[in-house]
Amino acid sequence: MEILHSLLDGFGVALQPINLAWCFVGVFLGTVIGVLPGLGPPATIAMLLPLTFHMNPAGAMIMLAGIYYGAKYGGSTTSILLNVPGESASVVTCLDGYQMARKGRAGPALGIAAIASFIAGTFGVVGLMLVAPPLAKMSLAFSSPEYFALMVLGLAMVVLLSGSSLVKALLAMLVGLWIATMGTDLFSATSRFTFGRMELLGGVDFVVVAIGVFAIAEVMSNMEPREGGTMLPVPRGLRNLLPTWQDMKDCRFAFVNGSVLGFLIGVLPGAGSTIASFLSYGVEKAVSRHPERFGNGAIEGVAAPEGANNSETGGALVPLLTLGIPGSGTTAILLAALILWGFKPGPMLIEDSPQLFWGLVASMYIGNVMLLVLNLPLVPAFAQLLKLPPYAMYPLILGVSIVGVYSDSSSVFALVLLAVFGLLGYLMRKLDYPAAPLVLGLVLGKPMELALRQSLMMSQGDLGILTARPISATILAFAAIMLLLPLFRRVNRWRVQAVEQEA
Amino acid sequence: MHRLLARSIAACALAAAACAHAFEPTKPIELVVHTAPGGGNDVLARAIAVIAEKEKLLPVRMQVINKPGGNGAVAAAFLAERKGDAHTIGLVTTNWIVGPLVTREAKVTLSDLTLIAQLVTEPALVAVRADSPYHNMKEFIDAAKAKPGALKQSGGTPTARDSIMRQVLQQHTGARWSFISFPGGGERIAALLGGHVDMMIIEPEEAGENIRAGKMRVIAQVADKRLAAFPDVPTLREAGYPVALVPQMRGMVAPPGIPADVVAYWEDFCRRLVRTASWRKYLQDNQFEDAFYTGPELARSLDATTQQLRAILPEAGLKLVR
Amino acid sequence: MQRLLRSGDFWSGLVLCALGVYIVTEAQGWSYGGPDGPGPGFFPLWYGVAMIALSLTLVLRTMLARRAPRTVAWPEVRRALACWIVVMIAVASMKLIGFMLSFALLTWFIVAIMFHRSHALALVLGIGGALVFQGVFDMALGVSLPLGFGL
Repeated sequence: MEILHSLLDGFGVALQPINLAWCFVGVFLGTVIGVLPGLGPPATIAMLLPLTFHMNPAGAMIMLAGIYYGAKYGGSTTSILLNVPGESASVVTCLDGYQMARKGRAGPALGIAAIASFIAGTFGVVGLMLVAPPLAKMSLAFSSPEYFALMVLGLAMVVLLSGSSLVKALLAMLVGLWIATMGTDLFSATSRFTFGRMELLGGVDFVVVAIGVFAIAEVMSNMEPREGGTMLPVPRGLRNLLPTWQDMKDCRFAFVNGSVLGFLIGVLPGAGSTIASFLSYGVEKAVSRHPERFGNGAIEGVAAPEGANNSETGGALVPLLTLGIPGSGTTAILLAALILWGFKPGPMLIEDSPQLFWGLVASMYIGNVMLLVLNLPLVPAFAQLLKLPPYAMYPLILGVSIVGVYSDSSSVFALVLLAVFGLLGYLMRKLDYPAAPLVLGLVLGKPMELALRQSLMMSQGDLGILTARPISATILAFAAIMLLLPLFRRVNRWRVQAVEQEA
Repeated sequence: MHRLLARSIAACALAAAACAHAFEPTKPIELVVHTAPGGGNDVLARAIAVIAEKEKLLPVRMQVINKPGGNGAVAAAFLAERKGDAHTIGLVTTNWIVGPLVTREAKVTLSDLTLIAQLVTEPALVAVRADSPYHNMKEFIDAAKAKPGALKQSGGTPTARDSIMRQVLQQHTGARWSFISFPGGGERIAALLGGHVDMMIIEPEEAGENIRAGKMRVIAQVADKRLAAFPDVPTLREAGYPVALVPQMRGMVAPPGIPADVVAYWEDFCRRLVRTASWRKYLQDNQFEDAFYTGPELARSLDATTQQLRAILPEAGLKLVR
Repeated sequence: MQRLLRSGDFWSGLVLCALGVYIVTEAQGWSYGGPDGPGPGFFPLWYGVAMIALSLTLVLRTMLARRAPRTVAWPEVRRALACWIVVMIAVASMKLIGFMLSFALLTWFIVAIMFHRSHALALVLGIGGALVFQGVFDMALGVSLPLGFGL
């Protein structure tokens, strides 16, 4: 009851015209930034910080938060239409989203992304509102052994993403792990695999690899035929521009999966939206009756990860607003912004500044609605992008990729790396090595190694710590089940076949 | 007589010329930091930009440029490349000294850049969970001596101040406890609050709210004198551990090859900055210590810190490469 | 033997095996573990070994398989690689000649050479595209793209 009361107060703050305006500015900017690859919320929020000092703090926070979750809506656009991941969490959307676009279903893909984002985003806000303090406390029980188990679960997804050859998928994943290792080792300050180049001291940026392996490689592939490849079919008619009711029914579980998984992973400081989207994609594929559709344009393969990366923002705000602990790059800046405005983020923030917290929560409901209204009509507009002839489309993709990477890193070395990974991606395509495991290895490699070494340091070398603790043991058990599930299915099919033969 | 007149005219002319060429920035200033947006120096840099605008310390805008990577190596190299550029400055921490000592690829040291001023030093607190059995430093050290390696501290990289302080304390007391590195401040706090580690050395503003809420307890201060916010907590020296306190400082540098008048301009800017009321309030809110040095004093202080680090780092298990 | 030498799986397996060996060699130079837990050499050693094992499996499998490898359409691959070389040149020269010029040249190459459209169209698209990117990103969003020529 008290929560409802506070929420109504919050709406009182959020519905003030000036705050509504800031909310709109934030979500609009966020969508634009999400669509443009490379430019991400952290950099934009940081750029806008000085301007916020002239605004009222609640309005400023509403706007910055709007940028944060708005970007997650926009990130799917280039992933689906151009196979260029708009930001790291959108890589998974490329897998099925782009395939849907190739089959003329770009409209439904974009639409379901927006709808899933709305449902999951709202779920995230509800979660933030209802369970933030107790959930934050529970999340403190999560530490390195549990993170390691989570990463193992993530890597178990490789088995599900392997396509035709498990050996090649595993090799791709190992290469991803190798790239993840490049840079300065956190624990000992040794540089590993940096080839003497200072630019590699910070490791290889995920965005560079993802855009190279997906987008650049795609362009190169399409250069092969003399006529320049086929254009993506443009969806015609309103029916083909938005998801059908059947599509929505198919995605029932994906909506739940994305919302819940994304939110829970968002609450854990350090685990990010990329992991959330991979895991929810993997879970979706694991429970599907027709897993072979994934990777070829399964609409649930778009709905689940897109939902996950949106509810993750709600989750990431939980440790920020209840414990003062930032879980990711963007929340770290939001923390800095809160401090600069004179707030004291920590366990007492909700008590001390209820207007800020509840105003923010209320504005997030409003923001998600605004984003749905903004994004759905944009679907036909974006789909028209596919009308571009190939000779204009490919320079566009290359230009967006190059500028996107440069805006992120301001270094020509990063662009050279982009080209190198483009070549790698092309070679992988020609040789039938799946790209998704490489990306998975890259994303999970560093956190997994960190978590393992931290765990072993905590237990003074005893590997048993991973199974002794209940949470990590449970997650590892899940991973084992995921790995064995396809085996069960195959055994089951044999069994059914054997029974049928006998009959 | 004539010679005296000639000389005085020459002197006046020279002075006039110097005044006429006194540096004034004409395009936006780029303040380079070595962390990503939201990281330690980034926050300070943005605060400086805000204060500079509020107190009208500069005729132009100041914008923050992030060059993360390699513990400062990327930012240092970026500054070195901007040789002679009067409109670029950088915000440094002690990391910029440590980096080149242990990383071969970090080729640019502080002596390659133009020193402007040191602005603040950051004290630190030794903190434990509120329900921890250790109420003072002695109890912690005794427990660590009783079970070597069993107690755990969460912290940053092995080159960070909290790791160095651990080395210094271990050396001094003979106790041993483990150090678990976490890449983010949030994770370190979470590890402590969740009971996965026993202690951490943390900056006051990072821990402030959790201490105020009663979730964390401070058992000692890593500072020369007690901070105003913690009048009842002894410093390490007062607690009986007179170890060398490696300062965590933040200061300003400029690219190499800068003319003298530009250096003077930036020194003057820093001087005016630290005198403003906004700056003092910022220091108070974030519990930094005002430690403004410039000129030869600065060079001496940095040299002393470098020598200190050279002695301590190998004991932390790091290899010196320079 | 001929079949083997033409098989992409065979060569990629060998390359990955070599990479694995490189990784394991490098890992020997770092500490495997110590009193403070696993060292920097721990992880690379293990995935390097896994890489060697898996790539050798791939090579063996290719050697024992009876299927003929897929034929490679070399002219097409050459087109793709040519495009890549131009991308690399464009990117590497960006500091020298600036973004606009290198992007315009890249676009010209793709439109005129790869797609055999008229040079006029290529130049229009190239220059137009470069201006649009420069305008949107540089001026509107404040991302400063390289201007080249020492600017």
